[in-house]
Amino acid sequence: MRKGSQRRGGLRFLSSAIAIAVVLPLIVAFHWSRLGWRDGHVNYPSRPSGYTQIVNRFGQPCNAEARAISMRWRAADNGVMYWFSFHRKLGGRPTAMVSDKGGRSTNLDNDVYGHIQNAHLQPYIKHGIYGYACRAKRNSNEWSTHAFGIAIDVSSAEEYMGKCTSTVNKYHASIWQNHGWYWGLAFCDPMHFQYATNY
Amino acid sequence: MKRRQAIVVGLVVGVTASVGVIAGAAGRAPARLPNGRSVGPMVPADTGAGELLLAVVGGVFSSRQEAEAANAALAFGDLQGYYVVPVAQFQGFRQEVGEPGEFALVSAFRTDEGARAFAELAAMLGIEATILPERVRSLGGLYAGLGQEASPDGTGPLLGPVAESLP
Repeated sequence: MRKGSQRRGGLRFLSSAIAIAVVLPLIVAFHWSRLGWRDGHVNYPSRPSGYTQIVNRFGQPCNAEARAISMRWRAADNGVMYWFSFHRKLGGRPTAMVSDKGGRSTNLDNDVYGHIQNAHLQPYIKHGIYGYACRAKRNSNEWSTHAFGIAIDVSSAEEYMGKCTSTVNKYHASIWQNHGWYWGLAFCDPMHFQYATNY
Repeated sequence: MKRRQAIVVGLVVGVTASVGVIAGAAGRAPARLPNGRSVGPMVPADTGAGELLLAVVGGVFSSRQEAEAANAALAFGDLQGYYVVPVAQFQGFRQEVGEPGEFALVSAFRTDEGARAFAELAAMLGIEATILPERVRSLGGLYAGLGQEASPDGTGPLLGPVAESLP
Protein backbone atom coordinates (compact mmCIF):
# COMPACT_ATOMS: atom_id res chain seq x y z
CA MET A 1 0.00 0.00 0.00
CA ARG A 2 2.75 2.41 1.05
CA LYS A 3 4.89 1.26 -1.87
CA GLY A 4 2.01 2.04 -4.30
CA SER A 5 1.57 5.63 -3.05
CA GLN A 6 5.33 6.16 -3.22
CA ARG A 7 5.30 5.00 -6.83
CA ARG A 8 2.37 7.32 -7.66
CA GLY A 9 4.22 10.23 -6.07
CA GLY A 10 7.33 9.39 -8.05
CA LEU A 11 5.37 9.25 -11.28
CA ARG A 12 3.75 12.61 -10.53
CA PHE A 13 7.16 14.18 -9.86
CA LEU A 14 8.57 12.66 -13.04
CA SER A 15 5.67 13.89 -15.20
CA SER A 16 5.97 17.41 -13.69
CA ALA A 17 9.70 17.44 -14.36
CA ILE A 18 9.17 16.33 -17.97
CA ALA A 19 6.45 18.97 -18.47
CA ILE A 20 8.72 21.71 -17.12
CA ALA A 21 11.63 20.46 -19.19
CA VAL A 22 9.52 20.64 -22.36
CA VAL A 23 7.66 23.91 -21.72
CA LEU A 24 10.42 26.04 -20.18
CA PRO A 25 12.74 26.07 -23.20
CA LEU A 26 9.79 26.99 -25.40
CA ILE A 27 8.99 29.98 -23.19
CA VAL A 28 12.58 31.12 -22.96
CA ALA A 29 13.21 30.62 -26.66
CA PHE A 30 10.22 32.70 -27.68
CA HIS A 31 11.27 36.01 -29.12
CA TRP A 32 9.22 38.91 -30.39
CA SER A 33 10.90 38.47 -33.73
CA ARG A 34 8.74 35.38 -34.20
CA LEU A 35 5.76 37.71 -34.44
CA GLY A 36 7.40 39.44 -37.38
CA TRP A 37 9.41 42.15 -35.64
CA ARG A 38 12.67 43.24 -37.23
CA ASP A 39 15.10 45.96 -36.18
CA GLY A 40 14.54 48.49 -38.98
CA HIS A 41 17.18 51.14 -38.23
CA VAL A 42 15.61 53.26 -40.96
CA ASN A 43 16.19 56.97 -41.36
CA TYR A 44 17.51 57.92 -37.91
CA PRO A 45 18.31 61.62 -37.58
CA SER A 46 21.84 62.38 -36.44
CA ARG A 47 21.95 63.17 -32.72
CA PRO A 48 22.26 66.90 -32.04
CA SER A 49 24.61 68.44 -29.50
CA GLY A 50 23.48 71.57 -27.70
CA TYR A 51 20.47 73.83 -28.06
CA THR A 52 21.20 75.28 -31.50
CA GLN A 53 21.63 71.88 -33.12
CA ILE A 54 18.48 70.60 -31.40
CA VAL A 55 16.48 73.48 -32.90
CA ASN A 56 18.09 73.05 -36.31
CA ARG A 57 17.24 69.35 -36.36
CA PHE A 58 13.91 69.17 -34.52
CA GLY A 59 12.46 72.71 -34.66
CA GLN A 60 11.41 75.09 -31.91
CA PRO A 61 10.22 73.76 -28.54
CA CYS A 62 6.53 72.79 -28.47
CA ASN A 63 6.20 72.77 -32.28
CA ALA A 64 3.59 70.48 -33.84
CA GLU A 65 6.18 67.96 -35.09
CA ALA A 66 7.40 67.40 -31.53
CA ARG A 67 4.15 65.61 -30.61
CA ALA A 68 3.19 64.20 -34.01
CA ILE A 69 3.66 60.50 -33.21
CA SER A 70 2.08 58.61 -30.32
CA MET A 71 2.55 55.15 -28.91
CA ARG A 72 1.45 53.23 -25.87
CA TRP A 73 3.52 51.22 -23.47
CA ARG A 74 2.26 49.12 -20.58
CA ALA A 75 4.08 49.36 -17.25
CA ALA A 76 4.98 45.93 -15.97
CA ASP A 77 4.41 46.63 -12.29
CA ASN A 78 0.94 48.24 -12.20
CA GLY A 79 -0.35 47.17 -15.63
CA VAL A 80 -1.26 50.74 -16.59
CA MET A 81 -1.08 51.53 -20.30
CA TYR A 82 0.72 54.84 -20.83
CA TRP A 83 0.12 56.93 -23.95
CA PHE A 84 2.81 59.38 -24.91
CA SER A 85 3.90 61.44 -27.90
CA PHE A 86 7.26 62.16 -29.47
CA HIS A 87 8.88 63.77 -32.49
CA ARG A 88 7.93 62.70 -35.99
CA LYS A 89 11.61 62.07 -36.84
CA LEU A 90 11.95 59.46 -34.08
CA GLY A 91 9.34 56.92 -35.11
CA GLY A 92 5.95 56.29 -36.66
CA ARG A 93 7.27 54.80 -39.90
CA PRO A 94 5.30 51.67 -40.91
CA THR A 95 6.82 48.27 -40.19
CA ALA A 96 5.48 44.76 -39.60
CA MET A 97 4.66 45.79 -36.01
CA VAL A 98 3.89 49.51 -36.36
CA SER A 99 1.05 50.97 -38.41
CA ASP A 100 1.71 53.99 -40.61
CA LYS A 101 1.55 57.01 -38.31
CA GLY A 102 3.15 59.37 -40.79
CA GLY A 103 6.52 59.17 -39.08
CA ARG A 104 9.96 59.35 -40.66
CA SER A 105 11.99 56.68 -38.87
CA THR A 106 11.68 53.33 -37.12
CA ASN A 107 13.64 54.40 -34.06
CA LEU A 108 11.45 54.39 -30.97
CA ASP A 109 8.18 52.57 -31.55
CA ASN A 110 9.66 49.79 -33.67
CA ASP A 111 13.33 49.42 -32.89
CA VAL A 112 13.82 50.38 -29.23
CA TYR A 113 10.44 48.99 -28.14
CA GLY A 114 10.88 45.84 -30.21
CA HIS A 115 14.38 45.17 -28.87
CA ILE A 116 13.11 45.47 -25.30
CA GLN A 117 10.26 43.05 -26.00
CA ASN A 118 12.47 40.66 -27.94
CA ALA A 119 15.02 40.51 -25.15
CA HIS A 120 12.32 39.84 -22.51
CA LEU A 121 13.13 43.09 -20.70
CA GLN A 122 9.56 44.36 -20.44
CA PRO A 123 9.44 43.42 -16.71
CA TYR A 124 11.93 46.27 -16.17
CA ILE A 125 9.58 48.90 -17.58
CA LYS A 126 7.93 50.27 -14.45
CA HIS A 127 5.18 52.85 -14.01
CA GLY A 128 5.55 56.50 -14.95
CA ILE A 129 6.25 56.70 -18.70
CA TYR A 130 5.98 59.95 -20.64
CA GLY A 131 7.42 61.75 -23.64
CA TYR A 132 6.48 65.12 -25.11
CA ALA A 133 5.60 67.86 -22.64
CA CYS A 134 5.78 71.58 -23.36
CA ARG A 135 7.55 72.33 -20.08
CA ALA A 136 10.77 73.75 -18.72
CA LYS A 137 13.36 71.69 -16.87
CA ARG A 138 12.61 71.26 -13.19
CA ASN A 139 13.72 74.27 -11.12
CA SER A 140 14.97 76.00 -14.24
CA ASN A 141 13.67 78.27 -16.96
CA GLU A 142 15.43 76.35 -19.75
CA TRP A 143 13.25 74.38 -22.13
CA SER A 144 13.30 70.66 -21.36
CA THR A 145 14.20 68.19 -24.10
CA HIS A 146 10.66 66.88 -23.54
CA ALA A 147 9.41 70.11 -25.13
CA PHE A 148 11.08 69.05 -28.40
CA GLY A 149 9.59 65.54 -28.25
CA ILE A 150 13.06 64.04 -28.07
CA ALA A 151 13.02 62.73 -24.48
CA ILE A 152 11.30 59.76 -22.87
CA ASP A 153 11.07 59.09 -19.14
CA VAL A 154 10.70 55.44 -18.18
CA SER A 155 10.04 53.95 -14.72
CA SER A 156 9.88 57.52 -13.40
CA ALA A 157 8.72 56.64 -9.88
CA GLU A 158 11.40 54.03 -9.34
CA GLU A 159 14.17 55.85 -11.21
CA TYR A 160 13.48 59.30 -9.74
CA MET A 161 15.47 62.43 -10.51
CA GLY A 162 18.42 62.85 -8.16
CA LYS A 163 19.09 59.14 -7.86
CA CYS A 164 22.60 58.52 -9.14
CA THR A 165 22.27 54.76 -9.54
CA SER A 166 19.84 52.67 -11.53
CA THR A 167 17.82 49.66 -10.38
CA VAL A 168 15.58 48.82 -13.35
CA ASN A 169 16.42 50.97 -16.38
CA LYS A 170 19.98 49.63 -16.28
CA TYR A 171 18.65 46.40 -17.79
CA HIS A 172 17.54 48.08 -21.03
CA ALA A 173 19.63 51.28 -21.12
CA SER A 174 22.10 49.77 -23.60
CA ILE A 175 19.26 49.25 -26.09
CA TRP A 176 18.38 52.95 -25.96
CA GLN A 177 22.02 53.92 -26.23
CA ASN A 178 22.53 51.67 -29.25
CA HIS A 179 19.74 53.57 -30.99
CA GLY A 180 21.11 57.05 -30.42
CA TRP A 181 19.57 57.88 -27.05
CA TYR A 182 21.63 59.46 -24.29
CA TRP A 183 20.90 58.17 -20.77
CA GLY A 184 20.29 60.70 -18.01
CA LEU A 185 22.03 58.56 -15.40
CA ALA A 186 25.12 60.61 -16.25
CA PHE A 187 23.40 63.59 -14.59
CA CYS A 188 21.59 61.59 -11.87
CA ASP A 189 18.31 61.32 -13.77
CA PRO A 190 18.09 57.58 -14.49
CA MET A 191 14.48 57.71 -15.75
CA HIS A 192 15.48 59.98 -18.63
CA PHE A 193 16.54 59.10 -22.17
CA GLN A 194 17.06 61.92 -24.66
CA TYR A 195 17.99 62.08 -28.32
CA ALA A 196 20.54 64.87 -27.80
CA THR A 197 23.72 65.56 -25.88
CA ASN A 198 25.19 68.58 -24.11
CA TYR A 199 21.80 69.97 -23.18
CA MET B 1 43.46 110.41 -67.70
CA LYS B 2 40.77 108.77 -69.79
CA ARG B 3 41.80 105.44 -68.40
CA ARG B 4 41.40 106.65 -64.82
CA GLN B 5 37.93 108.06 -65.57
CA ALA B 6 36.92 104.77 -67.13
CA ILE B 7 38.02 102.88 -63.96
CA VAL B 8 36.07 105.27 -61.68
CA VAL B 9 32.95 105.06 -63.85
CA GLY B 10 33.26 101.27 -63.94
CA LEU B 11 33.57 101.07 -60.16
CA VAL B 12 30.56 103.35 -59.62
CA VAL B 13 28.43 101.35 -62.06
CA GLY B 14 29.57 98.03 -60.56
CA VAL B 15 28.90 99.03 -56.96
CA THR B 16 25.51 100.53 -57.86
CA ALA B 17 24.53 97.37 -59.72
CA SER B 18 25.64 95.18 -56.78
CA VAL B 19 23.64 97.24 -54.32
CA GLY B 20 20.62 96.99 -56.60
CA VAL B 21 20.94 93.19 -56.89
CA ILE B 22 21.34 92.76 -53.10
CA ALA B 23 18.39 95.06 -52.36
CA GLY B 24 16.23 93.19 -54.86
CA ALA B 25 17.14 89.81 -53.38
CA ALA B 26 16.44 91.06 -49.84
CA GLY B 27 12.96 92.14 -50.90
CA ARG B 28 12.19 88.61 -52.04
CA ALA B 29 13.81 86.84 -49.06
CA PRO B 30 11.49 84.37 -47.29
CA ALA B 31 10.07 85.85 -44.11
CA ARG B 32 9.66 82.48 -42.37
CA LEU B 33 12.62 80.65 -40.86
CA PRO B 34 12.78 76.93 -41.69
CA ASN B 35 12.33 75.98 -38.03
CA GLY B 36 9.95 78.76 -37.04
CA ARG B 37 10.80 81.97 -35.25
CA SER B 38 13.57 81.58 -32.70
CA VAL B 39 12.36 81.59 -29.12
CA GLY B 40 15.72 80.98 -27.43
CA PRO B 41 16.62 78.37 -24.83
CA MET B 42 14.87 80.13 -21.93
CA VAL B 43 11.16 80.21 -21.20
CA PRO B 44 10.27 83.92 -21.00
CA ALA B 45 9.03 84.93 -17.54
CA ASP B 46 5.68 86.23 -18.78
CA THR B 47 3.01 86.92 -16.16
CA GLY B 48 0.30 87.87 -18.65
CA ALA B 49 -0.64 90.88 -16.54
CA GLY B 50 -4.18 92.01 -17.32
CA GLU B 51 -5.03 88.85 -19.29
CA LEU B 52 -7.71 86.31 -18.48
CA LEU B 53 -5.92 83.01 -17.90
CA LEU B 54 -6.78 79.41 -17.20
CA ALA B 55 -5.33 78.21 -13.90
CA VAL B 56 -4.50 74.59 -13.16
CA VAL B 57 -4.35 74.25 -9.39
CA GLY B 58 -2.50 71.64 -7.34
CA GLY B 59 -3.49 72.87 -3.89
CA VAL B 60 -3.93 75.90 -1.65
CA PHE B 61 -1.87 76.47 1.50
CA SER B 62 -1.83 78.92 4.35
CA SER B 63 1.88 79.80 4.05
CA ARG B 64 4.54 79.93 1.39
CA GLN B 65 6.69 77.41 3.28
CA GLU B 66 3.90 74.85 3.29
CA ALA B 67 3.25 75.40 -0.40
CA GLU B 68 6.97 75.12 -1.27
CA ALA B 69 7.28 71.90 0.74
CA ALA B 70 4.22 70.38 -0.94
CA ASN B 71 5.50 71.39 -4.37
CA ALA B 72 8.94 69.89 -3.76
CA ALA B 73 7.33 66.57 -2.85
CA LEU B 74 5.42 66.28 -6.13
CA ALA B 75 6.80 63.71 -8.55
CA PHE B 76 6.99 65.71 -11.76
CA GLY B 77 10.30 64.05 -12.45
CA ASP B 78 12.67 66.19 -14.45
CA LEU B 79 9.90 68.56 -15.60
CA GLN B 80 8.85 71.79 -13.99
CA GLY B 81 5.41 71.24 -12.51
CA TYR B 82 3.57 73.86 -10.49
CA TYR B 83 4.73 77.31 -9.40
CA VAL B 84 4.09 78.67 -5.90
CA VAL B 85 2.27 81.98 -6.17
CA PRO B 86 0.17 84.18 -3.87
CA VAL B 87 -3.53 83.59 -4.36
CA ALA B 88 -4.04 87.37 -4.53
CA GLN B 89 -2.19 87.73 -7.82
CA PHE B 90 -5.18 86.33 -9.73
CA GLN B 91 -8.45 88.22 -9.53
CA GLY B 92 -11.33 85.76 -8.98
CA PHE B 93 -9.06 82.89 -7.94
CA ARG B 94 -10.08 82.80 -4.29
CA GLN B 95 -13.79 82.71 -5.09
CA GLU B 96 -13.37 79.90 -7.61
CA VAL B 97 -11.20 77.70 -5.42
CA GLY B 98 -13.41 78.18 -2.38
CA GLU B 99 -10.69 77.06 0.02
CA PRO B 100 -8.92 79.21 2.58
CA GLY B 101 -5.23 79.86 2.02
CA GLU B 102 -2.83 82.50 0.80
CA PHE B 103 -0.50 80.53 -1.48
CA ALA B 104 -1.33 78.08 -4.23
CA LEU B 105 0.37 75.63 -6.56
CA VAL B 106 -0.55 76.93 -9.99
CA SER B 107 0.36 76.65 -13.62
CA ALA B 108 -1.28 79.25 -15.87
CA PHE B 109 -2.29 78.83 -19.51
CA ARG B 110 -3.90 80.81 -22.30
CA THR B 111 -5.58 77.94 -24.14
CA ASP B 112 -7.84 75.07 -23.10
CA GLU B 113 -5.52 72.63 -24.87
CA GLY B 114 -2.52 73.80 -22.87
CA ALA B 115 -4.35 73.53 -19.54
CA ARG B 116 -5.77 70.13 -20.42
CA ALA B 117 -2.40 68.74 -21.54
CA PHE B 118 -0.79 69.80 -18.27
CA ALA B 119 -3.66 68.42 -16.17
CA GLU B 120 -3.40 65.10 -18.04
CA LEU B 121 0.35 64.96 -17.43
CA ALA B 122 -0.21 65.57 -13.71
CA ALA B 123 -2.99 62.99 -13.52
CA MET B 124 -0.82 60.43 -15.29
CA LEU B 125 1.82 60.99 -12.61
CA GLY B 126 -0.79 60.69 -9.86
CA ILE B 127 -0.70 64.40 -9.00
CA GLU B 128 -3.78 66.48 -8.17
CA ALA B 129 -4.69 68.95 -10.90
CA THR B 130 -7.88 70.98 -11.12
CA ILE B 131 -8.60 73.35 -13.99
CA LEU B 132 -10.59 76.26 -12.59
CA PRO B 133 -13.88 76.47 -14.50
CA GLU B 134 -13.63 80.21 -15.17
CA ARG B 135 -10.65 82.23 -16.32
CA VAL B 136 -8.98 84.44 -13.72
CA ARG B 137 -7.43 87.84 -14.35
CA SER B 138 -3.68 88.04 -13.87
CA LEU B 139 -2.56 91.04 -11.86
CA GLY B 140 1.11 90.39 -12.61
CA GLY B 141 3.30 89.29 -9.74
CA LEU B 142 5.28 86.05 -9.79
CA TYR B 143 5.81 83.89 -12.82
CA ALA B 144 3.24 81.06 -12.90
CA GLY B 145 4.29 78.99 -15.90
CA LEU B 146 2.74 81.03 -18.70
CA GLY B 147 4.17 80.29 -22.15
CA GLN B 148 4.61 76.57 -21.55
CA GLU B 149 1.96 75.49 -24.04
CA ALA B 150 1.92 75.00 -27.79
CA SER B 151 0.87 77.78 -30.09
CA PRO B 152 -2.26 76.90 -32.11
CA ASP B 153 -0.30 77.57 -35.34
CA GLY B 154 2.08 74.70 -34.50
CA THR B 155 5.30 76.69 -34.85
CA GLY B 156 6.40 76.66 -31.21
CA PRO B 157 5.34 77.85 -27.78
CA LEU B 158 2.52 80.34 -27.35
CA LEU B 159 4.22 83.51 -26.19
CA GLY B 160 1.47 86.09 -26.49
CA PRO B 161 -2.22 86.65 -25.83
CA VAL B 162 -4.95 84.87 -27.76
CA ALA B 163 -8.49 86.13 -28.33
CA GLU B 164 -9.86 84.17 -25.34
CA SER B 165 -7.26 85.60 -22.96
CA LEU B 166 -7.85 89.23 -23.86
CA PRO B 167 -10.25 91.06 -21.55
